[in-house]
Amino acid sequence: MNPVIVLVPFLAALAYISFSRGTRYARYAALAGSLVSLALLPFIAYGSYDIQWLRTGGYSFPIALAVTQLNYMLLAVVLSITPIILLFSSGFMDIVTEQKRFYIEMLAFSIAMIAFSLSGNFITLFIAWEFLSLTSYLLIGFWHSKERANRAARKAITIVLMGDLALIGAIAIFWNAAGSLQFSAIIAAAGSGNPMIYAGTLMLLMAVLTKSAQFPFYDWLPDAMEGPTPVSAYLHSTTMVKAGVFAVAVLLPLFASTGISAVLLTLAILTAVIATYYAIVETHVKRIIAYSTVQELSLMIIALCANAVLAGIYFFFVQSFYKALLFFSAGSGMKATGKEHIDDVTGIRSSKLIYITTLFGVLSLAGFFPFSGFFAGAGLASSLRANVPIYLIISLISIATSFYIFRWVFRISGQPKNKSIGIAYAALPAQMKLAMAVLAAMTLAASLFFFYMPSFFSGYLPAYTSNGLSAGAADALVLMVLAVIGAALSYYVNIARRRKTKEQEMHARKGTVADAFYIKFSSFAYYLSAGATLIDTHISNFFDAFGRAAMDTGKLFRRFSVGEINAYALVVVASLLLLFAYAYVVLR
Amino acid sequence: MTFDLIHIQLILMAMLVLGSIIIRIRGARSLQLTFNSALLLSIALIFLLMDILPVSGTYMNMINANQFSSFMGFLFAFGMLLFNLMAYSYSESYKDLALLADFSFIGMYLIASSVSLVTIFVGIELSSIPSIFMILLSKRSIEAAAKFFIMASISIAILSFAIVMLYGTSNTLALSKYGPGGIIAFVLFLFVAGLSFDASVFPFNVLIPDVYQGSGAYITGMLGGVNKKAGFAAFIQVLVLVFIAYKPAFEIVALLSLLTMLYGNVVALLQNNLKRLMAYSSISQAGYILIGIATATAQGIGASIFQVFAHMFLFIGTLALLAWLESRNRLEVDELIGLNNENRFAAFALSVFLLSLVGLPFTIGFVGKFLLFISAINSGLLWLAIAGIINSAISLFYYARIIMAVYANKAHARHLPIDSGVFAVVAVCLVVTIVFGVYPGPIIALADGAAQYLLP
Repeated sequence: MNPVIVLVPFLAALAYISFSRGTRYARYAALAGSLVSLALLPFIAYGSYDIQWLRTGGYSFPIALAVTQLNYMLLAVVLSITPIILLFSSGFMDIVTEQKRFYIEMLAFSIAMIAFSLSGNFITLFIAWEFLSLTSYLLIGFWHSKERANRAARKAITIVLMGDLALIGAIAIFWNAAGSLQFSAIIAAAGSGNPMIYAGTLMLLMAVLTKSAQFPFYDWLPDAMEGPTPVSAYLHSTTMVKAGVFAVAVLLPLFASTGISAVLLTLAILTAVIATYYAIVETHVKRIIAYSTVQELSLMIIALCANAVLAGIYFFFVQSFYKALLFFSAGSGMKATGKEHIDDVTGIRSSKLIYITTLFGVLSLAGFFPFSGFFAGAGLASSLRANVPIYLIISLISIATSFYIFRWVFRISGQPKNKSIGIAYAALPAQMKLAMAVLAAMTLAASLFFFYMPSFFSGYLPAYTSNGLSAGAADALVLMVLAVIGAALSYYVNIARRRKTKEQEMHARKGTVADAFYIKFSSFAYYLSAGATLIDTHISNFFDAFGRAAMDTGKLFRRFSVGEINAYALVVVASLLLLFAYAYVVLR
Repeated sequence: MTFDLIHIQLILMAMLVLGSIIIRIRGARSLQLTFNSALLLSIALIFLLMDILPVSGTYMNMINANQFSSFMGFLFAFGMLLFNLMAYSYSESYKDLALLADFSFIGMYLIASSVSLVTIFVGIELSSIPSIFMILLSKRSIEAAAKFFIMASISIAILSFAIVMLYGTSNTLALSKYGPGGIIAFVLFLFVAGLSFDASVFPFNVLIPDVYQGSGAYITGMLGGVNKKAGFAAFIQVLVLVFIAYKPAFEIVALLSLLTMLYGNVVALLQNNLKRLMAYSSISQAGYILIGIATATAQGIGASIFQVFAHMFLFIGTLALLAWLESRNRLEVDELIGLNNENRFAAFALSVFLLSLVGLPFTIGFVGKFLLFISAINSGLLWLAIAGIINSAISLFYYARIIMAVYANKAHARHLPIDSGVFAVVAVCLVVTIVFGVYPGPIIALADGAAQYLLP
């Protein structure tokens, strides 16, 4: 069946919500639309579907939809996560007046994301990419009365738009070089060593880095946590930020044959280190998870570029579920306590269900058997073992990941500061808890896909599957040991040591001892990241600076158009003289 | 002489002018509106039919019916129809405006259908002189009218000089290939300078923002949406029919294109007055249109003609909304805050128009820019395409400012009803923007057909 069919329920729900007067049924309409869409997923057939759109000068530019194994997987992730997110939202978004806007924006985003996951040529990719940027801007700045949310949205859109611009540039160059906007044609042209393709791929690289929040453009993603929690769980962990990684996966031969994958690999490793550091020292509940997302995106890119393609794609798949789950936990905590700092959001144990599902997510992220994160980590380790430096880095990152996520969970499950918090947890809407339970189940169920994965992708491009997916017993054991080391370290720092120093702390509260420990422990990473932040600030200010420069030039021009006829006559005469000089030169 | 569709058109145009004069002398405003709308609509539809059939041939040694002139005639008639709807809502002297607009329309059609440079010259005169009075009538703004007058007269002076030079060296006034060596660069320079006034091309557009700001918004919509498009019809015809064999002509157009885009976009960043901002925006759009002309290929000219079509609707749609806001004295960007709370339709339409001017996919603006950039790349002007892309990115900043203001929340917003005339204009423009953005095939075919006529 034509994959366009999955868009129909979303469009119907969008139309219903836009045109209906009340907001009462908005959430049910959205949820129903996404569920119907999910039910249609099994009927979609592999193949490519072109919709004729533009024709000019003998060329045709169709909107091409492709359903390959890779597209199908992303589509499955998007379609299965959307109802869960909307279910969670129906409990979380309890401000009635904002509901309509929220669901319209969410559905518009879903449509863009589904279109992206089906993109079969650069036209579709670009259009979906552009709509992703726009809708994400709206959603990050959803609480537009909050100045911080506005600033975060502006920052995100500035950086992401630079990427969009680079993407259009890349497309223009590809068209110039290959005369086609089909992925396959451009990959083929890259094989012939055309230098223009190289330039285009570099611009594409920039688009990927901005969209997937990689160094030096990672800064917008943690700030984007100003958006509502469902938005963070949806856009900033499971769908939109993975668009860049997905583009890399689809165009991997292009990156590989131009040698740009090495650049990408280096940047991804750098990002992984920086993001891990920040995840360790950050104190905002959601930003910790955001940095963790940045790190995981880097790991996916590392896997793709280091020829562990299937392991990377599996990681891409399972990460969605437990990451959304962790965001839900953070959001529940923030909603129950009304706070954002990690020391203020406490008492998650008050609700058994939330606590247990949170632990599912934590254990999965840290890499404990039998959660899906374990299989992803073991698959990565097995595939990358031959590459010793990367293997070592990934092992270190495993310890650190386990460390920061246990720090996170130890802190938020601490004793609540007052009784009312426990009641607030218990009073959280049932929809939120149900959504978390579903996600927890999927975190476990996704493990099974590990064994099904190689045969699922067997029909896909051979280059992707040459390096199969497996997990050696030794690698699995090492991973477990690393995770336990991280967890133990975290226990020592966050629970045992804190308990000891609690009394001293009461006297001198200059920041926790634990924080001081981190800073000493990672001063190298600190300087590295300080430098990185500096560069990053410069880059995100690039457009602003550009605008200012443009404005100064504008002032210069404005002097000539103040409305004075004399000045005008001067301009006309000067222009005529200039044109005449030009004509004279040509004449000679 | 057989009786042809073009004869019906000429009779209808004569009826239009004569009828308008009679109604001007004794008749009601509403009659003037009904009469003008009905005739302009039928003229537009017959032009569309003539374009699709297509009808071609020369009539009375003056009117050249072809796919280009029919398409342009359709555009001008339709634009004038929209102008009538806007002006009826806002001007007390609507009856005079309608009459002047009819004269202006005939001048524009003369430009598009000219067989010789003299017809183009007369057409430019005929279309711009009524515009001066229209500006005067709109807000009694003498300054804006005077500036427009100065612009028009300099343009006419330079243009007549150019035509004389051309006649002196080639002994013909026909729109045909011009070849004598030596003097050609000089003639070209005069033509480009003279026509740049009419197409608002840098650096001869310096007064345009003053004129646009000084006139009523509905007049501005007509000036930027229809009048300047006639300037482009002249620009395209002269460049393509007379100078096609002369490469430097198109190099200078490429250069002017870059400068025009850059000038419009950069200065627009500073503006707070919406009408002035839209004036700079229309200048930058003129720069994009020049990209297609600079390619000197049928594909590029087709893209330019498509963009002329797209910009006409986008500009008139935006300016109709500005006319509505102007009647409520809200023309600063900051004064738009909360428009969404007051009128959701207006807020949505304004956002769509502005985003389409940037180049949002599935709107007509995207298609136009896409065609322009692709045609530029195909003829080896990658640098110009990239410059266009960067300019689009700059333009997002000033359009986004407006959209953000429109969607900012305002407490205690009261519903602000939209006038029916404006509603009709905006609805038509909105439908065109979206329908032909999703399904641009027919318009691309018509624009390509027009280009094929000019550059077989």
